[in-house]
Amino acid sequence: MNPLSDPAVQQTLTGVFRLALPEIVLLGTACLAFLVGPFANRRWLWFAAALAGVAGAMVVAGVMKAEPPAVPTVAPLIPDAAAAFVRWLALISAAVFLFVSWPEAGRGHAAEYYGCLLVAAAGVSLTGRANDLITLFLALELLSIPTYILLYLPAQDRPNQEAAVKYFLLSVLSSALLLFGFSYLYGLTGTTNITAIVDTLTRANAAELSPMALLAAVLVVAAAGFRVTAVPFHFYAPDVYEGGPAGVVAQIAFLPKVAGLVALARVLGLLAADPRHQPFPVDTHLPLLLWVVAVLTMSVGNVLALLQDNLRRMLAYSGVAHGGYLLIGLVVATSLPDNPGRPAVGGMDAVFVYLAAYGAMTVGAFAVVLYLSTPDRPIDGIDDLAGLGESHPVTAGCMTVFLLSLIGIPLTAGFVGKLLLFVGAFTAPADTLSMGHLYQVLAVIAAVNSAVGAYYYLRVIGVMYLRSPVRPPADSRSLPTKLAVLALAGFTLVFGIYPDPLVKAGRRAAPVAATQTADG
Amino acid sequence: MYLLPTFRILVLLLVALPLVSAAVVPLFGRAARRAALLLALLHAGVTAAVVAGALPALNQRGENVPPGRDFAFQKFTPEFVPGDPGVSDASTSTHRTRWTLLNLGDAPPDRAGPRIQFYIGVDGLNVWLVALCSLMVIPAILVSWEAVADRPGAFYGWLFVLQAGAIGAFLSFDVILFYAFFELTLIPSFFLIGRWGEGPHRRDAARTFFLYTLGGSLLTLVGVVGVVLTNPLPDGRFTFELPELMAAVQRNLGGAFAEFLRTGDGGPLAEKQNLQFWLFLCLIAGFMVKAPVWPFHTWLPAAYREAPIGVTLLLSALLAKLGTFGLLRFVLPLTPDAAVAYGLPVVGVLAGIGIVYGALCAYAARDIKMMVAYSSLSHLGFLVLGILAFNREGLSGATLHMVNHGVSTGALFALLAFLLDRYRTTDMRQYGGLTGRFPRFAFLAFVLCFASIGLPGLNNFVSEMLMMAGLFDARNPGVGGFGYAVVAAVGIFLSAWYVLTMLRRVFFGPVVEPPPAVAGPVHDVNPREVVALGGPVAVCLLLGLVPQVLLNPMKADVAALAEVGDAARDRVAGTAPKFEDGLPAGTITPARKNP
Repeated sequence: MNPLSDPAVQQTLTGVFRLALPEIVLLGTACLAFLVGPFANRRWLWFAAALAGVAGAMVVAGVMKAEPPAVPTVAPLIPDAAAAFVRWLALISAAVFLFVSWPEAGRGHAAEYYGCLLVAAAGVSLTGRANDLITLFLALELLSIPTYILLYLPAQDRPNQEAAVKYFLLSVLSSALLLFGFSYLYGLTGTTNITAIVDTLTRANAAELSPMALLAAVLVVAAAGFRVTAVPFHFYAPDVYEGGPAGVVAQIAFLPKVAGLVALARVLGLLAADPRHQPFPVDTHLPLLLWVVAVLTMSVGNVLALLQDNLRRMLAYSGVAHGGYLLIGLVVATSLPDNPGRPAVGGMDAVFVYLAAYGAMTVGAFAVVLYLSTPDRPIDGIDDLAGLGESHPVTAGCMTVFLLSLIGIPLTAGFVGKLLLFVGAFTAPADTLSMGHLYQVLAVIAAVNSAVGAYYYLRVIGVMYLRSPVRPPADSRSLPTKLAVLALAGFTLVFGIYPDPLVKAGRRAAPVAATQTADG
Repeated sequence: MYLLPTFRILVLLLVALPLVSAAVVPLFGRAARRAALLLALLHAGVTAAVVAGALPALNQRGENVPPGRDFAFQKFTPEFVPGDPGVSDASTSTHRTRWTLLNLGDAPPDRAGPRIQFYIGVDGLNVWLVALCSLMVIPAILVSWEAVADRPGAFYGWLFVLQAGAIGAFLSFDVILFYAFFELTLIPSFFLIGRWGEGPHRRDAARTFFLYTLGGSLLTLVGVVGVVLTNPLPDGRFTFELPELMAAVQRNLGGAFAEFLRTGDGGPLAEKQNLQFWLFLCLIAGFMVKAPVWPFHTWLPAAYREAPIGVTLLLSALLAKLGTFGLLRFVLPLTPDAAVAYGLPVVGVLAGIGIVYGALCAYAARDIKMMVAYSSLSHLGFLVLGILAFNREGLSGATLHMVNHGVSTGALFALLAFLLDRYRTTDMRQYGGLTGRFPRFAFLAFVLCFASIGLPGLNNFVSEMLMMAGLFDARNPGVGGFGYAVVAAVGIFLSAWYVLTMLRRVFFGPVVEPPPAVAGPVHDVNPREVVALGGPVAVCLLLGLVPQVLLNPMKADVAALAEVGDAARDRVAGTAPKFEDGLPAGTITPARKNP
């Protein structure tokens, strides 16, 4: 029988659209905004429309029961638990960004701004469920292209334009790297389906490591590294964060990190149905490469953040450092094949929890910057926040929560994420030949880095509370931004004090959790 | 019989009440100090009830200490645990809790599992420290009465957060919960020092304090996680419950040792002990900074100098004890072999240097505040030595000394508030002959200074004698003769030297006083100060006369720790354990004779 006429294959291919319905709702709303926007470009109108679009997508996502595709090796999208987690992360963050970016979306381009935002969110969500190299690439571009536009939209002065150009060029470069790596993967395996690629490579690499496959993996790591702002692909971050509009920067600080990490985990087989099926186990030395990148990323990010006087540049390097912490989870996840069924943290679940926590605190910090900035009194330097504790007690309190969470103080979500990463690092086996005690060393390095990082976050807290206001920031009227700030601070605190629901969600999303419950 | 559930609620209140107070006090505006005092007194009442309820149970336990060695006995047993599953049957207690904050795996609720819980309770080691936390806040509020005029509501609010953090850390029996409370003390300290500090460098001092402590304690966190994940329970699960974890550590080490005795294969034991060394280093890092142990004390002079006097009082009385308590609660039971092998020989040497260094700095100090600060460093070195001696005398002496030192040093700082309120300076060169000027103040000062020196009849004498006795333990490896005891004795001698020198300069000779900071005549102690200073003086005297009241409840827990220490010594020395009741060597778990 012709395999193409197999009803299961046909059903898998035709069922794809059902799996992407919430994203289609988002994209439809965005298209509506692009088409009608030029005729009625009111901010409140498109804010409401975009919010309705996100709400609609949430309803669809909540109601639709996605069935796993019959033939995963041809399915372009795969609706597993990780995909669901990433989708909810994308939808919720889209809603938050709508509120956060209220002051930026005016000036006659509200429709375009909100439309791009929805497209980017759809891109992140699709990245989470892409099971095909082409789909994955398109999803990542769906995230990148609107970001270029968002960076250009309010680009009136030179730093703005420099940021936009820099981001565009380096993003295109990373896409090229990614495609280059994908082409090797396709050439080696003859398919673009990730499940099939992972299976083929796992079997092939078990016998003998293919250097071409390793090269492909290194290229993919490099391309994802750009999105995660991993050292040495972080160079654009400080300039873009400094020059770009704060609301867009908040998105750049969060959404590409989610997409990059999830894409990398997919291609490396860390989110596959059976996480022990890995094309690049520890003896291929790819985890060692990730280890080195993680250590470099967190150390370089933290040390350079120490030197910054500009708040946005500091947050940029802090984002670099947190990218390094996130990579710990990937490094740990690669160790799982050697470590089946040990009941603790697996790596990917820690990554998911940390992503949620990181999103809340970093977006929150940028939202505070955006809330306090006015065109004639922008918040650039750390000193611009002097005396904020007296002039804006609530905003300063929220900013303190975000900063303490970034430090990783207990009772904040950031601590929970760090704890899980540490526990994960210690769960990894200490006796593999190529890694040895490196996982535990990684935890120690991360701890030292957190202590170093505390210095520059604490400096901001000190400036806000221990200095008297020189020129207090103007009182912004942007109520939606303030609501978003309060909600994010609430999220950080609630899931810091009672983290069980968040961690449960993360564990459900990671394939490790599934094997664990099976083991007892 | 509803007594047990009531006490569980009261124990929860010990932590919750300060947090509620912190939220409420700022609402009172200018009357905040009165509200704070009332709330602190209320807390003292709750504490008194808990102590009264805990004493019979703890004393009872102390009388039932079984002879011989039993792994089941080598763990802490918290009483009055809120959320105890035995709550439905009000008269029984499982010493565990159901209140889970974070579940990392699936374990039946009645068994220990990988979950982080709100697990607090009272035992012999923490009951007096909690009482100390509750009591010392009262003088801290009283000495800040006049001194803090800038936003007093926020100031007292942060004081209560600090108290909640310290009490929570003392009460915690979940290793991660302890860490959470331990870190929670940093935030109020940061604001209290940085916002209400007195010196020009207060911001730097606050930041240094925060960063040093955080840096150390992050390593402690890594160490704690490492201990948890390398010491599974018999069923292969992990646990964050300190009692279960402690028993698991002893079981794993004891099992490897029994294996060694039986087969002569020391490999597994050596591997475990090697791992212990690294975990010990990580664990102790945070506590050495917090205590502090020389050379990690460099944050101390700045923080103590810049902080407002009420906060300095709490820093020295409560927060420094968190470091030594961490040694007692975590380092000794979780890495016993490394604590025996490297505790006294390595950390002990640092502590010994700290004793002498602190004493010499205290002698050289021209500011009385700095003298007390450095004397605190010196005394804490002694305390660390007492703990690391890892035997009954040392451990009970150290636990007692934590309370004694907290009261006497805290009160010494409270004394300085008297001078600061009147003259805004504590520079001893500007004072002289105060005995004639303020006779009542001088009397209180003499009592407290003599208590600090360790005069018999006052509190520190008892605990210092016990710790000294603990240092004369020749079983500890690497202890050349009685070197540590000699260093500790020199420290006591030096403390007499610098304290008496200070007394001579400030209280005798012709009257010298700096220009007063307040208008009108300068009076002797007022009723508020009588309470703030007289209370600790009375406590010093009381504890010096009847220390046994404090020592009895901690007997069982100290014995459990000492057992852990004895077993660890055997393992480090590689000799088969000898049991006093004449059981043959080689059996590691003799049956308990009279349970």
